[in-house]
Amino acid sequence: MSSGSGQTGAGAPPEKRELRLGIIPLSDCAPLVVAREMGFFAEQGLDVSITREASWANVRDKVQLGALDGAQMLGPMPLAGTLGVVSPRKPMVTALTLNLNGNAVTVSRRLYERLCRTDPEAMARRPITAHALRRVIEADRRQGAGPLTFATVFPVSGHTYQLRYWLASAGIDPDRDVRLIVIPPQFVAANLEEGRIDGFCAGEPWNGFAVARGAGCSLISSYEIWNNGPEKVFAVTEDWAQRHPATHRAVLRALLHACRWLDADGANRRSAARLLARPEYVGVDEDVLAATLGGEFRDGIAARPRRIPDFTVFSRYAANFPWRSHGLWFAMQMERWGQLDMDAAVDEAVARTYRPDLYREAAADLGLPAPQADWKEEGVHAGGWQLETATAPIPMGADRFFDGAHFDPNDPAACLRGPGVGADGV
Amino acid sequence: MAARILLIEAKDRRSRALEQALTDAGFEVVASVDERDDLYARMTELAPDAVIVDAELPSRDTLEHLAQLGRRFPRPIVMLADEDDPQVSLEAARAGVSAYVVDGLAPATVRSLVNVAIAHFQAHDALRSELGRVQQSLEQRKAVDRAKCLLMERQGIGEEAAYQRLRKMAMDRRLSLYELARELLD
Repeated sequence: MSSGSGQTGAGAPPEKRELRLGIIPLSDCAPLVVAREMGFFAEQGLDVSITREASWANVRDKVQLGALDGAQMLGPMPLAGTLGVVSPRKPMVTALTLNLNGNAVTVSRRLYERLCRTDPEAMARRPITAHALRRVIEADRRQGAGPLTFATVFPVSGHTYQLRYWLASAGIDPDRDVRLIVIPPQFVAANLEEGRIDGFCAGEPWNGFAVARGAGCSLISSYEIWNNGPEKVFAVTEDWAQRHPATHRAVLRALLHACRWLDADGANRRSAARLLARPEYVGVDEDVLAATLGGEFRDGIAARPRRIPDFTVFSRYAANFPWRSHGLWFAMQMERWGQLDMDAAVDEAVARTYRPDLYREAAADLGLPAPQADWKEEGVHAGGWQLETATAPIPMGADRFFDGAHFDPNDPAACLRGPGVGADGV
Repeated sequence: MAARILLIEAKDRRSRALEQALTDAGFEVVASVDERDDLYARMTELAPDAVIVDAELPSRDTLEHLAQLGRRFPRPIVMLADEDDPQVSLEAARAGVSAYVVDGLAPATVRSLVNVAIAHFQAHDALRSELGRVQQSLEQRKAVDRAKCLLMERQGIGEEAAYQRLRKMAMDRRLSLYELARELLD
């Protein structure tokens, strides 16, 4: 496909050709790895070095300090930067979501067996709620036992909000009834085995890794918690975006290509698993990576893998569009769990951070359809539907929350008033 | 009283050198632990004034969470209100070292602590890993270039056409450009 045309922006040469982009070793760093390895960056005239970073804190600092041009980030991270939530305050921009879904909640075998003994009925239903867990926690409390410990990967992350959402929906107060800590995902399996933690919410391949080691059982995927919720994003600083508009646009085009490639067929997903298995990227067994990338969820419970075709979505359902409503949902979670100052200018920060305008330019360069609205409701569709308010109709996926909640961006705080929400609602 | 420092270094790369350098500079190193240690337990029992961590370790994300839990836990230097010099943070990030300090530690002490750590890391790990990364990327680029030249010679086509053909072959065979290049060159 030709990358150049006479249009402004699309044809403008990148201000900077040599870029350093950061990734964290996870299945969903695939778009950046694929864009480099399959030549999509090169096709846009970019010479990209991918650097594997050790922590999300490193990724954030290096992008904010200019040691990296841009990076794969946790969904709420750029907004947290703009707002200064658990982060130095520095305006950040995301114009592209890298994937939807891709995480899961996994518990130790020991806790899983206890859950089944305590409430076999609740544990037989799918998706699995935290009701059995609540009964275990109540029993522990009666006996004066200490709280169970659950780990996520970063304080401001989809994982943290998904785990808290799942716990709270069963009436568990994540701040009082359990101990929530942060453990890097490559260590969670070992921590489960050593009994230092009882469960975790992390991205792939680390659930599959823990299950393959016999250390844990995966109770629920993030797809089941929120069908097609946003996961990782590509982010740069606002300052970088302003100084490198053509470069940014070229990176977005390359990533759009890579994401389309990843969703084109199952064989490409297997190739991606092979690439990611290399030591310089994720360095985990190809077979473990290939499972959830191929929609097979090995939960360690069912004898055969559960088929979840949308376990990780890279392109379909307008996956890459930076919905401002997704940003608003993250802001509501920050507020719900006390991370946000009451006087924070949320709407302004969301509009400043999420840049659908930049996405639309890049999509138009490639002749791809793009949504025309910046906002959408969540928790409305149980199955596939068609987005008509787009430059051409776009097939969309389900957008349900597992507790049946509805998120209306015109009344975002309503999601904070629902039953079972927050410490006061339970 | 000397500031009390907790060191977090990689299990397989731990050396007494940084500990010695910090002690020489007047700091008290209360413990040196590795990335597998239970940081929640250590931080609570030791209550260090500052933490120096090898930024190549994922442990930073745990420290970020601890910093959230209250003022008694050290916070990242990039978040210090009086940190008016981003250059130090940038140097630290480039050197592969990260520092967390409690409120109230004198800025001059923080500066001195970070400088000692930067000097140590610059001399050791960071350089090595950076070099490895650059060399690898260079080697891959060279292989793709050589494969491109090979195609241009063999098939008498231009550079752009050779590159496009390489890409198509790589895609058809589901290989990365580098993998295909290596195969062609063998």
